[in-house]
Amino acid sequence: MTDLQLWHSINQFYYREARYLDDLEFMAWLDVLDDKINYWMPIISNRTGRDVGKERTAPGELAHFEEDKTSLTNRVKRLASGMAWAETPPGRTRHMISNVEIIKYEGEQVQARSCFIIWRSHLETDQEIFSGLRIDTLRRDAHTQWKVLNREIRLDHAVLTQKSLGIFF
Amino acid sequence: MLDAPQTSHFDHLVDLTKGEINRRIFSDPELYQRELQNIFARCWLLLGHESQLPKANDYISAYMGQDPVIVTRTGDGKINAFLNMCRHRGNRVCRADAGNARAFVCPFHGWTFRNDGVLQNVPGHKEVYKEKLDLDAHGLIPVGRIATYRGLIFATFDRNAPPLDEYLGDMAWYLDMVFDRREGGVEFLPGVHKWQIKCNWKFPVDNFIGDSYHGPISHGSAWANGFEGMPRRKSGYGYEGFQISPGNGHGFGARWAENYDQVLEMALPEFLDYEKERAPETEARLGQLRGMHLSPMHGSIFPNMSMLWQSGNIRVWHPRGPTLTEGWSWCFVDKKASAEHRNMVRIHDLQRHGTSGTWEQDDVDNWNQSTSASLGYAARQIGQNLSMGINDEIDDPKSIHPDLRGRLGGFQSEINQRAFYGRWAQLMGEDYAPAIPGKNA
Repeated sequence: MTDLQLWHSINQFYYREARYLDDLEFMAWLDVLDDKINYWMPIISNRTGRDVGKERTAPGELAHFEEDKTSLTNRVKRLASGMAWAETPPGRTRHMISNVEIIKYEGEQVQARSCFIIWRSHLETDQEIFSGLRIDTLRRDAHTQWKVLNREIRLDHAVLTQKSLGIFF
Repeated sequence: MLDAPQTSHFDHLVDLTKGEINRRIFSDPELYQRELQNIFARCWLLLGHESQLPKANDYISAYMGQDPVIVTRTGDGKINAFLNMCRHRGNRVCRADAGNARAFVCPFHGWTFRNDGVLQNVPGHKEVYKEKLDLDAHGLIPVGRIATYRGLIFATFDRNAPPLDEYLGDMAWYLDMVFDRREGGVEFLPGVHKWQIKCNWKFPVDNFIGDSYHGPISHGSAWANGFEGMPRRKSGYGYEGFQISPGNGHGFGARWAENYDQVLEMALPEFLDYEKERAPETEARLGQLRGMHLSPMHGSIFPNMSMLWQSGNIRVWHPRGPTLTEGWSWCFVDKKASAEHRNMVRIHDLQRHGTSGTWEQDDVDNWNQSTSASLGYAARQIGQNLSMGINDEIDDPKSIHPDLRGRLGGFQSEINQRAFYGRWAQLMGEDYAPAIPGKNA
């Protein structure tokens, strides 16, 4: 596989994953996540001086998300219950994935960085934009092409003006 | 009695005899400005926990109402808090949320303040100000009073405020059920969830102080899908629990166990082993009532601190306008807890509470909608109902247990909300100017 083919394959995978989320096809989305997935979104804070570079909370500290396949599946099941009021009716999202870079390709695993802008509209006038970076480890899969084995999500917001992180990234 | 306003002209907004509130209090801009003075510049407010400033010269940023403050630990180990405002143009002298610094340099003109508030350097003090600017009189403005309770840092802008112990009253005695349940108390984990909610600040406080009623409906989806979140009975016995109103507008809800087996029966499944380890120590420290009978769940300290005791979750609700609130949510653990238990508490907490919380998300939309109801003229003519259990309040706690303090309602009762809004009306009704240090004459 050439670099271009690999890059194309990863891009297509990300677009498809984004479509699953935007079309509320959450079972299909769960299927592209490895059963051993670590899904983690640390918290960003403002730091100055010697602490520049320590903006993100570390593993073992509080995070926005710290999920495994079970908890992500439970979050999806909750949404499907009809009683997840924050998503009843469901919000409208548009996941825009770009700036895809392949960092490493080794042993059928890829480390990739991608940026996102997610638009979320809910109820009448709740309009929100989420911006950030994802650092993924993907592994080849015969069925879904790739599966997400590890995902670190770096959100670009210190104080969230969004009402909740009720969507997936 | 603090909970019952006698003569206040705010009585017409909060009618405790009927259990009815005028919705205006959730959206009126003038009332909001009065709240900043009569409540947020006067009451003791939670700034954080000592464990967030372990070393000399550590600092954290916080808010008191809409006023940003810096909490510092000076070289002598003392904890201080100052308005984060340069005395020149008013800029923030500190833009970081946390760090370690001996001094703060204002980014505008370079006025430099030591972390004990002293104005150390003014560029051009000699050449431009001809040394006429009184440096001693232009230090950072300190809070009126600062104190800690079991490591929790509280401050008030009012120099004439009563001592913290008096302000917390019997609520402090109940807070020990969390903060003094094991040797060494608790510590806050690094990291704060911060997010803005389009609601009036009183709705989340109301929700946490006494609204056990909303759980099965609002949180049914989380509960049923792997995010069980509160101690509960698995089979029927005795009292289900109580809403407890210890006075001064504070309150909490607790499950009631008759014996040790029932304590363990109510434990969250993943915490069962830890509860077995922890419960005997707590009972030895605090006695049977606080160490066994009561399993506290949710509560609020007047005006804007809330907690979920069993989830290791504590938060403040910063007012950002009549219809905007900023939540700051921390996770705490017993200092004695193992690394494994810390991990479980952290994951339990963040999957339920705070920004991505499967419980919290649904609350947020509730509070937003309650707030928007107060924006319509017609809706504002209709009182909000707060009458649950109004005829079934228990005035004598000793009738339940000789050690109980405060007034009680059933586990499903709005007694704590009535106490909260009653305290609100009382403070709002008073003509009182908080004694802010350095205030213009």
